[in-house]
Order: sequence, then structure tokens, then C-alpha cells
Amino acid sequence: MPSLPPPPPGAPGGPPRDLSRRTFLRGLGAAATGLALTGCARGSGAGSGVTEITFFQSKPEVIGYFDGLIEQFHETQSRVRVRHDATSNLAGSFVRESPPDIGLLNYNFEISRYVERGALSDLGDLPEADRVKDELLPLIEVTATYPGRTSVLPYSLMAAAVLYNRDLFEQQGLTAPTTWSELTAVCEALSAAGITPIYSTYRDPWTIAQGHFDYAVGGMLDTTDFFTELKAQGADVGPSSPVSFEEQLLDPVQRMLQLTAWDNADAPSRGYGDGNLAFARGEAAMYLQGPWALTEIAKTNPDMNVGAFPLPMTEDPADRKVRVNVDLALWIPEASPRKEAAREFLQFLMQPEIIDAYNADNLGFGVTKDAAEVTDPTLVELQEYYERADFYIGPSQLVPQSIPLQNYAQSLVTGAEPRSVLRTIDADWSRLAFRS
Amino acid sequence: MATTTTTQAVRRDDAAPAPRRGRRPGVGRTSYLFLVPSLVLFTLAITVPAIMGITLSFTDSVGFGEFDFTGLTNYVALFSDPAILSSYGFTIGFALVTVLVVNVVAFLLAVGLTSKIRGKVPLRAVFVLPMVISGIVIAYVFNFLFSNSLPRWAGAVGFTPLEQSMLADPDLAWITIVIVTAWQAIPSALLIYVAGILSIPGEVYEAASLDGASAGRRLRSITLPLVAGYVLINIVIGFKNFLNAYDIIVGLTNGGPGTATRSVAMTIFSGFTGGDYAYQMANATIFFLIAVVLALLQIRLTRGKAAL
Repeated sequence: MPSLPPPPPGAPGGPPRDLSRRTFLRGLGAAATGLALTGCARGSGAGSGVTEITFFQSKPEVIGYFDGLIEQFHETQSRVRVRHDATSNLAGSFVRESPPDIGLLNYNFEISRYVERGALSDLGDLPEADRVKDELLPLIEVTATYPGRTSVLPYSLMAAAVLYNRDLFEQQGLTAPTTWSELTAVCEALSAAGITPIYSTYRDPWTIAQGHFDYAVGGMLDTTDFFTELKAQGADVGPSSPVSFEEQLLDPVQRMLQLTAWDNADAPSRGYGDGNLAFARGEAAMYLQGPWALTEIAKTNPDMNVGAFPLPMTEDPADRKVRVNVDLALWIPEASPRKEAAREFLQFLMQPEIIDAYNADNLGFGVTKDAAEVTDPTLVELQEYYERADFYIGPSQLVPQSIPLQNYAQSLVTGAEPRSVLRTIDADWSRLAFRS
Repeated sequence: MATTTTTQAVRRDDAAPAPRRGRRPGVGRTSYLFLVPSLVLFTLAITVPAIMGITLSFTDSVGFGEFDFTGLTNYVALFSDPAILSSYGFTIGFALVTVLVVNVVAFLLAVGLTSKIRGKVPLRAVFVLPMVISGIVIAYVFNFLFSNSLPRWAGAVGFTPLEQSMLADPDLAWITIVIVTAWQAIPSALLIYVAGILSIPGEVYEAASLDGASAGRRLRSITLPLVAGYVLINIVIGFKNFLNAYDIIVGLTNGGPGTATRSVAMTIFSGFTGGDYAYQMANATIFFLIAVVLALLQIRLTRGKAAL
């Protein structure tokens, strides 16, 4: 293995390599899909000057919302028609080299590879790019960058923290903890009062990765720095490297495991749906979930008084940060032949009244300098952290999808040995870096 | 000798298709035309993508855009990747156990359903029912049973080992997958066994009874040897299917807890969605070779047994 030369990197910005091989495979692909593709007519109405673009947006909760916006867009102009695609396989569309003309998706490990390979076009020349809050740029960059390009424009940001039952806390004379020892004291007090302190749902691995794991790591470690250094190390990640999962993440993970002592006893067999239901019924005082759960909780208990606080992992209250993720970001693929029309729609979506209305409606935080503040009674508690830029991208969103991090997080809370799990992640990371 | 030479000469001199048509009436050129549609579809849908996939497995492609040929790098990396090796370990172990369970249960059921019992025809229909339900639906229903009902029943009777969901236990989760897969796979194996047992002539059993053979003896010395061919078919086909386990695992454990129940098919698919395209193509190529070996084995074992 060491004798093999490492594969050359994706040569960002370089000239296209080896067209013959590419053409060969593309030819094969064309032969294979030719029949199917002839059915999908190219999207322009013959001679009418109308361009039809495909808009890929698949966040299930807001599909109807965007259908409404598309209708609104159609009313304002007649040059561009938008077809809403919510179901295609995105990876497949890029493989077939027929990606959507414009996308609005969660910005994480999934979209990062398209950014890094230069598959998304530059949006930096649009005036909308200057409206994006400067504090968000490091978050976008640590996820993925392509030199010299603004590959995505953030649209909506979600801030996640510990959701807590304000009434239960008040009943017990407790306030939201600001340090680790206050947190453990709160858990002890709740336990003593016969209340389950934290409701957890191990059966759905993502709930552990985005909740316990991200909160614990992000609360103790600068994830942006960590991942920047990690990427700089290349394939050289292991016990002897300056940064590694095993070294930097062991403390946070051990604290996370201490917290599991206060989980509901049946956590291993509970899923996300069970968690929303149980928390809404007041079966536990705290729930490590993002704002997306609030809508679900309200379905069971519309009047529930829910608060939110960032999980304190240290003894310094100033260390508290909220976990954010770029829940939606706009991008236009380089391969789209209808970029101009797509940009027109992008500019429509970025209009202050439209983007603000979306975020207010869907519990998102605004991403533009002129954005309105959140008004949701739970999320107002997190506004101050957001304004101070006391936030981090959840580490689980920065690990490439081919490393089953969610499953590893699940194995941690179901009893696997932390050091060996972290060592496995290091090895996976290193192998991935070696071959890509 | 002379005759042979003449025949050969005649053949060589003839306009090629004419005498053949004369010798084999009914197999004309038109017959071959009927093969063309399926041949074209098969080539476009199976052969071409397979060749593309195998070619990509020697590159560093992420599924789109530029790529370079990297030789055997992916294959070398594959064989030293514990995640890949453990997925093979799990999948092969799971397939072996499931084949055993499915065939023992299906055979016993087939013996029961072909014996002189009342209402065996409606009973057969009942036992075949799981075959027509989609795997993912079955998996979600059983997921609920294993997560909620079973722990509650176990709690009610005080059987502590099962009070915690089996799906959440890395050492037990695979058993649930075997149970559910077997539940779905038994019907088709059962049908084959029923057909096999019914094909045994009644006189053989009559003769055996006259010789004073007990029911157990008849099962051991007549039924079993005479359905041996069907056993082989069931084992090979079953094993090949279980190696591809995907939907039921996704619905039950999604590879968890941790990575305890990740099958090879799941790992391959994760490369498609996760950008590890070329690497998992290499994995798929290896997996394909294993399937080829099994298919050859199946052809060998079932040769001459025209039953299917």
C-alpha cells in the first residue's frame, strides 16, 4: 500500500483532466440512459421565450410553503417557470450530469463534496451575497469551500440547544443551568423528585449524534478549529498526530456518557417520535433536540411552556454556545444550462420580506445582516448567543457521510468503549483522506 | 471416412442458413428477432452499467466530475478496512444462520402441509401470505413489536433478558433480523418443498408402509433423499438472496446499534449517497464476484435436476 503513489487531489481550479477517459465513460452513460432521457424533454417552451428551471428542495415540512412561493414568483414575471422537485435522488442527478438548476438544501456533509469538487457555480457577484452575515462565513467555510467562489448562500439557520419544560423547572425551584456542576445539580434534584431529568431516544442514531454528541463536543471544543486542523493533517490522523478524535474528543464524550446516567431507562428502545410525545406529556424535564421538534411537541401539547438553554459543559458560563446548522442554503450547479433563470429565482427568494417570512414561519434564525430577530417564545432565549456569534457547527455535520458517525454515537451511548470508538473514527478518517 | 468428407464438403459449399432451416423446422431467423428486445434491455440496464461501475472502481471518482485512474488503490484499501470486513463477516454469518433456519422450518412445514391433515390447502395459503408483503413494511411492523410489545410482554411475565428491546442490544439485534428475514423467506422455500414432496410417487410410501416402516423412518429414508435436490436449490438460492439483505435491516436496525448489523449491501449504498463512490464500486465488484461464484455453484448443483 505505501508503495502506491497517492492519488492526485481533485485539482481544484486546474484544467479539465483527461477528456478521453471521461468521454469514454460519458459515452457509455449516454448509451445507458439515452433511452430514458429522451423522455425528459428539455425544459423550455418552444419559442415562447419561457425558461423552465428545476428547483430542488426536499425538506419535508416546507414543501408546501415553497410551492406557494413558486406561485407567487410566477405571478411576478412570466420569463421563468419553476418546477419543484422534492423527491429525486440528488446524488443520482449529479452522476447523470443533469443536476437541478437551483437547489435549496441542508448545507452539510452531503452537499460539501459538490462544493469541494467545484460542481457549484460562483454566486459571489450577486448583491445578495453581500447581505449574508459575516459571522456565518467561517461556518460555511469549515463545512466546504472551493477557492475563489461563493458556492452557496445560506437561507435559514437553525439553533439547537437543550429544550426544557419551564413549568417542571419552576415547580422544582430550578433555573436553567449555566455551568457543568449546575447541570449535574439540576439533574440530581430532578431525579430526587422522581422526575426523569433527560429524555433520550437512542434508537434513532441521528438524535444522539445531533443532540448529545454535538452538544457535548461543541460545548467544550472549538469545532471550527478542530476540523480545520484535522483537514490540514490529511491522511495523517492517529494517536501521534497533533489533533485526532481520540485526543480532543475523549473528554467531551466522557462527559456526554456521564449525562446518560440521567436518561430515561428505556432510552435504547425509544425513537424520535416517542421522544416528542414523552416530552410533550411532561414525562421528562429536558430534551436534547432542535427547534424542529417544537412543532411536533406542539401537536401533542399546544400550550406547553418550553424553554431552551445551551448545554453547559464547563465551569465557565462564558463557554456556553448554541449548536447551529445551515438548515437551508441556496446553490446553482455549474452544470446547469439555465443559470440566469435560476439566479432570477434565487434573487426572488432572497428578498428580505420573503426570507424573513420563511424564517419566522419555520423557527429559523435570519442569515442576512438586515434579518429580523426570532420571535418564537422558546427560541428567544437563544437570540443572545446568536447575536454574540457564540455558536458552532455540530461536529456530526462535518464528518463525511461515508463515516457512519451517527452509528458510532449510538454505540457510545449503548455501552461501547469511548476510546476505541474514537480510535475507529480516526482510522476511518485517515483511510478516507488517503483515498480521496 | 469418405462419407464424412463428403458431408463436410457439402456443408462448406452450401449457402449457410438454408440447410439448417431445412433440418430444424421452426427455428428460423425470426425466432432470434424475438430475443433482441430483451437482449437490448439487458445490455443497457445491466451489462453497460456493470462495466461502467467496474471501470469506476479503479478510479477516485466521487460519482460526478473529473477523476483519475488509481489502479488497485481502492481494492487494497478495501481489504484493510475493518468496517468493510466486519460487514462481510456479519452478512455471511447472517446468511448462513438464516438459510439454516429457513430450510429447517420450511421443510418441517412442508411435511406437515403435505400429510393427511384437514384444511391443508387454505393453510398453505396462510403460510404463503408473508411472501406478498413488502420487506420494508414487515420490518417496520416487527420493529414496533420488538421495541414496544415484546419488552412489555417480557416485563409482564418477569422475563428480564427481554425487557430491554433486542434491537438496542448489539449482541442480540442480529437475531431479530434473522427472525424477520426468515419469516418472509420461509414461504418461497416452503412452496418448493411442497412441490418436491408432492412429486414423490405415492407407491414408494405404500411399499415402505407394507414393509413396516414407521412415519419417522419414511421421512428419513424416503422423503429426505428424494427431495435432496430441492434442499440444495433452496440453500443456494436462499443464501444468495440473504447476502443481499438490505430492506429488512434498514427497517429494523438501520445497521445499528452502532455498526453491529451493517450488511454489505448497506455499505455499498452508503458510498453512493456519501460520496465514496469509486471505493464502494470496488466493494460492489468484489461482492459481484462472490455472487458469480455462487451462481456457478448453483448451476453445477442443480444440473440435471430438471425440477425447476
